[in-house]
Amino acid sequence: MFGELVGLLFTSMIVNNVVLAQFLGMCPFMGVSRKRSSAVGMGMAVVFVIVAAALVTYGLHYLVLVPLGLDYMDLITFILVIASLVQLTEMFIKKTSPGLYKSLGVYLPLITTNCVVLNVCLVNITNGYDFPHMLMYSIGTPLGFALVLVIFSTIRERLDLSDVPEFFKGNPIALVCAAIMAMAFSAFSGVI
Amino acid sequence: MALVYGILFLGALVGIYIFLYIQNKKTPVPKGCENLKADCEGCKITSCSLRDKKLKEEK
Repeated sequence: MFGELVGLLFTSMIVNNVVLAQFLGMCPFMGVSRKRSSAVGMGMAVVFVIVAAALVTYGLHYLVLVPLGLDYMDLITFILVIASLVQLTEMFIKKTSPGLYKSLGVYLPLITTNCVVLNVCLVNITNGYDFPHMLMYSIGTPLGFALVLVIFSTIRERLDLSDVPEFFKGNPIALVCAAIMAMAFSAFSGVI
Repeated sequence: MALVYGILFLGALVGIYIFLYIQNKKTPVPKGCENLKADCEGCKITSCSLRDKKLKEEK
């Protein structure tokens, strides 16, 4: 059981990385990866919101929607829960921790439209995970997202200092690097 | 009966979202965080609220 959980954590984080293997969350991946400090802030915010959203939606599905025969309303319920959770989190951080708000605050509204959050909530239900598996998947996926985002931001910082051909500057060379990163990460598929 | 439960449940969720949205707007931003800017120039989504804010500031 323990080995299976560690395997799921590793798979969701590295092997089936949400950005490089499933091509989800591409907007923040390209948009918020120009500076390492921004990437770290966005990564932390995504980890926090995904874990919280997964716990709430998993509980709502099995304790409210299934007993009432409303499990067909998963999608609309999860969207509303994620949007509400982002508002609640932003309000809580504003009141309790100005320092944390300074580093995460501006990225929190962007997470509402991050499809990775909805994907994690839906996969937890469609794959029929029990609670420990759901927890591992919900921690591993955003950690993988944050890891790739931070690595990519360091590459883009180096690219700004490199002598790149004029027509490759900006997003084109970033996309080429993302493709090479995806190929590198695909090599982990033989590990598990 | 399931349809009634569904409508009530959805209404409750929408109500919770509107309540939290209003409360969040009313909550004052901590000192020193009034003019936070996201470094998201690479993003091309035109419907984002942060982009609207930036365009207004530029004008």
